[in-house]
Amino acid sequence: MPSKFQSLTISLDDRSKDMCPICKTDKYLSPNMNFLINPECYHKICESCVDRIFSLGPAPCPYASCGKILRKNRFKKQIFDDLRIEREIDIRKRVGSVYNKTEEDFDDLREFNKYLETIENIIFNLNYGIDAEETEADLVKYEQEHKLEILEKNMRQSQKNADLAAYQEAMERLKQEKLRIQKQMEVEDMEYQKQSQQDLLDKLTTGSASSTDEIIKQQQQNALKRSSLRRRELQQITNQLDQQFNKSNPLYKHAKELEENLKTPFTPFKGDRDLNKNYHLLPIPNDIDELMDIENHISDSYFDPYVNQLAKNKEYLGAGWRLQHVFEKALDEAFIGLGCFIEKEKATA
Amino acid sequence: MATTSTTTAKTVPDSIVQNKYSKDRKVGEGTYAVVYLGNQVSTKRRIAIKEIKTGIFKDGLDMSAIREVKYLQELKHPNVIELVDVFSTTNNLNLVLEFLPCDLEVLIKDTSIVFKSSDIKSWLLMTLRGIHHCHRNFILHRDLKPNNLLLAPDGQLKIADFGLARSLGNPNEDLSSNVVTRWYRSPELLFGARHYTGAVDIWSIGIIFAELMLRTPYLPGKDDVDQLDVTFRALGTPTEQIWPNVSSLPMYNALRVYPPPSRQELRNRFSAATEKALDLLISMTQLDPSRRCDSTQALLHEFFTENPRPTEPENLPKKKEKVKSEDELDESNKRRKI
Repeated sequence: MPSKFQSLTISLDDRSKDMCPICKTDKYLSPNMNFLINPECYHKICESCVDRIFSLGPAPCPYASCGKILRKNRFKKQIFDDLRIEREIDIRKRVGSVYNKTEEDFDDLREFNKYLETIENIIFNLNYGIDAEETEADLVKYEQEHKLEILEKNMRQSQKNADLAAYQEAMERLKQEKLRIQKQMEVEDMEYQKQSQQDLLDKLTTGSASSTDEIIKQQQQNALKRSSLRRRELQQITNQLDQQFNKSNPLYKHAKELEENLKTPFTPFKGDRDLNKNYHLLPIPNDIDELMDIENHISDSYFDPYVNQLAKNKEYLGAGWRLQHVFEKALDEAFIGLGCFIEKEKATA
Repeated sequence: MATTSTTTAKTVPDSIVQNKYSKDRKVGEGTYAVVYLGNQVSTKRRIAIKEIKTGIFKDGLDMSAIREVKYLQELKHPNVIELVDVFSTTNNLNLVLEFLPCDLEVLIKDTSIVFKSSDIKSWLLMTLRGIHHCHRNFILHRDLKPNNLLLAPDGQLKIADFGLARSLGNPNEDLSSNVVTRWYRSPELLFGARHYTGAVDIWSIGIIFAELMLRTPYLPGKDDVDQLDVTFRALGTPTEQIWPNVSSLPMYNALRVYPPPSRQELRNRFSAATEKALDLLISMTQLDPSRRCDSTQALLHEFFTENPRPTEPENLPKKKEKVKSEDELDESNKRRKI
């Protein structure tokens, strides 16, 4: 029995939720309808009813037993399903616009926390109707007394918001600019590639057969040179843009100050890195072709027939094993203690 | 390392061992060891004592204990756990270790803690410094995971658990490929490589880096076969072209061929990462171990010099105190230490 009753009320609730209690229009039948509320009494009225009733000026709320005088311009869309939350947020907004000091206006955190506490008290009182009239009067009095101060704080806040907006805008512009340059360069590269292909074909048709390899090699080298040049160019341009951006960035100044406050420079190794090895390595081949080359001119590198043989093993190479590491380790271990004076280290420790 | 030769009879945990260290409380027990919390009597310093059970093995000491002692004795670095002392009693071996109350896994799992990008940078930096020290001494850790990166009360991160560590021996020596916890295992290990390098540790750190940004494991394979699938789905299937000689590895297979992810895909995956952070992540998770960066290159990466600066260790997020009950604390210690 109770469950049946419950389901009935729920379905009723659901229906009344989607229906304007004034004109009985149903959301189901006219899906375009919107509900508005007025922070005076928070009664839900559909848009067309609001237009109809309040167009000619303030009028009493059409809900029976309410009768509060409402104005059209105060009507707004409901954001939260729960009207109590909607109401609390309105109160919060209103109190916040009067008590609008921020942490920087206080000497210490304790004072600021006290200030926040008073705000919360006022909101709580207004929300739950505890000494509501008294609190309301206090709020109005405070507003009158601190009018100038409140205005000043408001100005400061809007300045900050403007700064942030400018920053975001500049950031977006920077991104667009970078993208544009990158695209432009890509197009240029394409054209260049086409051009060079054509050149190559022309040359091949006119040139003799023996020099074909030569020409292709040269062409490839040119392309490689050009691509690295282009990359550097792109890097330079983006760096320039970054610098320009930082100059115009209002937040950058702040970041820079912060940076200067940190006296110690950043060191990735914390100074614990040995840059001066006691030896230097001869060139060591990295792949099989180079290895064969070295084996024919042994004097250019280290030669260990056994280890060099390992360097040709594909299984070793695939796992990341490199001849270089072997020789490096051998030399490191051979020289690791040299140049280290225990007595001296003990004395300085 | 002073190994005292006097052997006192085994005593109850609460009493004073060797007069130098006190064992206060048992915090965990595993197959090979029991961990106690204690103090160094002379300095009042908090320590953890790992008591290795010896009597029960007919082959002698457990391998991981020997490895731990062997390598930790050699390594002294702010980002590597300190082995304070080793001593033996009648039927067990005791390792006295620096006491570290928290680990990175706990923080990653605690959803109430927010990681700033500077925090992640700081942890990554300390991990890389620690592993750089291991690698320049030719020691591979082979079990890096958030669970083994412990955090000191002052915020310093320390690499711990050298139970799987080994030093690089002769160039032709075979290394076991069955190392590293599965989710952090590099592709060459998954392919059964036996001549790998420090690059396996760098891979693990790369995956940990990703996990710090995602707050969830990056490549969680269900089993060894699935791990291959998950890894390649995320990072592309390796081919001879991008990884020369890969097909010569013992367990190579390319059953499913996935394309490598585009930069934009990675950007979407790590939406909060900067371009430099992505660069570093990509170079630490290169499939080909010889293309993966080493610890020096990683430390010199521009990611660490760009803003924001890495957080000072003492300002890093910490585990919330008193939220955990005593039982849970014991449980987490047990999981960590053994």
